[in-house]
Amino acid sequence: MKLLRLGNFPLDNRRLIGALFLTPALLYIVLLVGFPFLLSIAFGFSDVTVGNTDLSFVGFRNFLAVWENDIFRQVFETTIRFTLISQVFILIFANILAVIFTQEFTGKWFARFIFILPWATPVSLAMIGWLWMLDTKYSPIDYLLLQLGFLGRGGLLSDNRNLFWLAAPDLAQISVIFVQVWRMTPLATVILMAGLSSIPTDILDQAEVDGSRFMRTLLQIKLPLILPIMVIALLFSMITMFGDMTVVYVLTRGGPVDYTRVLGLYSFQVGIEGGNLAQGAAISLFAFPLLLAMAIFMLRTASRAEVR
Amino acid sequence: MSVVQISGLKKYFDAVHAVDGVDLSIQQGEFLVILGPSGCGKTTLMRMIAGLEKPTAGSIHIDGADVTELPPRKRGVSMVFQSYALYPHMNVYNNIAFPLKAQRREKKFDKATMRGKVENIAKLLEIDELLDRRPRQLSGGQRQRVAIARAMVTQPAVLLLDEPLSNLDAKLRANARDELKDFQRSSNITAVFVTHDQIEAMGLGDRIVVMEKGKIQQIGTPQRIYDDPANEFVATFLGSPSMNILRAQGHRFGFRPEHFLPKTLHDNPANSVSFHYFVKRVEYLGSDRLVYGYVGGHENELTLAKVPSNVRVSLDIEGEYEFAVHHDNIKYFDEASGERVEAQVAGAAWR
Repeated sequence: MKLLRLGNFPLDNRRLIGALFLTPALLYIVLLVGFPFLLSIAFGFSDVTVGNTDLSFVGFRNFLAVWENDIFRQVFETTIRFTLISQVFILIFANILAVIFTQEFTGKWFARFIFILPWATPVSLAMIGWLWMLDTKYSPIDYLLLQLGFLGRGGLLSDNRNLFWLAAPDLAQISVIFVQVWRMTPLATVILMAGLSSIPTDILDQAEVDGSRFMRTLLQIKLPLILPIMVIALLFSMITMFGDMTVVYVLTRGGPVDYTRVLGLYSFQVGIEGGNLAQGAAISLFAFPLLLAMAIFMLRTASRAEVR
Repeated sequence: MSVVQISGLKKYFDAVHAVDGVDLSIQQGEFLVILGPSGCGKTTLMRMIAGLEKPTAGSIHIDGADVTELPPRKRGVSMVFQSYALYPHMNVYNNIAFPLKAQRREKKFDKATMRGKVENIAKLLEIDELLDRRPRQLSGGQRQRVAIARAMVTQPAVLLLDEPLSNLDAKLRANARDELKDFQRSSNITAVFVTHDQIEAMGLGDRIVVMEKGKIQQIGTPQRIYDDPANEFVATFLGSPSMNILRAQGHRFGFRPEHFLPKTLHDNPANSVSFHYFVKRVEYLGSDRLVYGYVGGHENELTLAKVPSNVRVSLDIEGEYEFAVHHDNIKYFDEASGERVEAQVAGAAWR
């Protein structure tokens, strides 16, 4: 009866509606982030395999074994190297593109739309496209270079008709980094664009009246003002990239040899494909303290750089 | 000598005529105030002088040179924004030095000269102790001084000020107004000051430009504009409480509340016009009494009187009194256009 009284509709109850709004986020965090995370910690300290799912505690044995493994060390190093190199390019490209996309020009809307596509496309789908672009035999890039005389007999780059994008160690690494940059730049750009358009117009007008030209305004006013947002963008793309396995899984499976094997992929290969769940969990957990430290450091930098 | 010469200036934003044909000449060393309600086009006019907005039509000359098509940096103007627009990531020194750095290559002066200029202007505005501070560590008044220092450091031909006092609290504002006027007079800079606050305008302006609907309604000294308004808009926009406007046959006439006084207070009743005044409410404001009521024959038109408190006349609610206005203080307006007309033209036949 009480519920039917005017002004006491169930959704008027602040506690109830608060709980209602929070539930989806809480469910997401508990079921899809918290539970798997705790499970992987439990796995990491056990001897669980795909064949034997009993959890018996084995202490740090898995972590020690992983740490002493040469392949793991190389994988760890590759992951850090790929992440750092690609972040440099992502930051450069994202800054340039964000500045371009915040200018006024005709066709801006369409340009933005086209540009955001790499990020909006499902990773696996996009990677299949790149797999073809970088194909050992039928790569359209190779074909273009061949037509331009860079490839084939007497070509500037190689006498061969192909560059073997994903089969040559150096080129495979470059290809993977390139594709990662292609995939992550849009998100960073969108974040930087939001930052640029949040700069008060008074400040930019003032700079113009003060006689500042494009480059000075960009380097001395705009970029310093969006520094905190830049750090956030960097954090996002770094964490995404550090844990990613899809790109290399589709493109190279970590090859040739181990040249493009990254942490996410290695953990998947050992834990799921190799069946050693415990070690797979231990491998991926190595990334955790590093990412946590990085996140704390960057967020603190961002809040310190935040002016006003 | 005129520093700024504006002719036929227009700015249309699609269907909105923000500035609709402005002619204005600003003299060297004068403090010109552009006054108007929000949306009257005063800020757009100022932004066109600064070069931040491209005119739809018309021209702007500064120091004799046509600057209509030039970017802000080639105009010799500087500006103080309402928000002060200090660069939050730079300290006060770098804020003030920024315009100098931007023109250093063209004007060819060394770093020591630059430091000297910054320190001079900072001393003049009494902010030389604050050069290492960040804007967020400054009070509102200090921020305003930094903004003015930054605008003055390049010795511009014209200083544009866009409501720079409106972010200060009431107490600081009177003080800042006084200092701004002093500073302008001693530096002899040409200042254009945009505001919607008539008290600021009256207090600061050598001349006031009253704007409405993108057009200049009147230009003149504060006294001229107050005592001799060109039209009904200017008459009612200035003054608080605003001028009483009453309808008559074929025209309207108005008088200010402070000129509408009990008949006994007028020296020579022959020179004034009397009204029966019915008092509805009296507000005691300390120095004055603000009386709300209506005059005989105009029962639907609220008419206010501002009677000094030291005048020993008792005014009671629901009372009926003889009030009068001096002939000179009654202004007549054309019914259709709102323009001022002479008493004879209006055909006012007072008893």
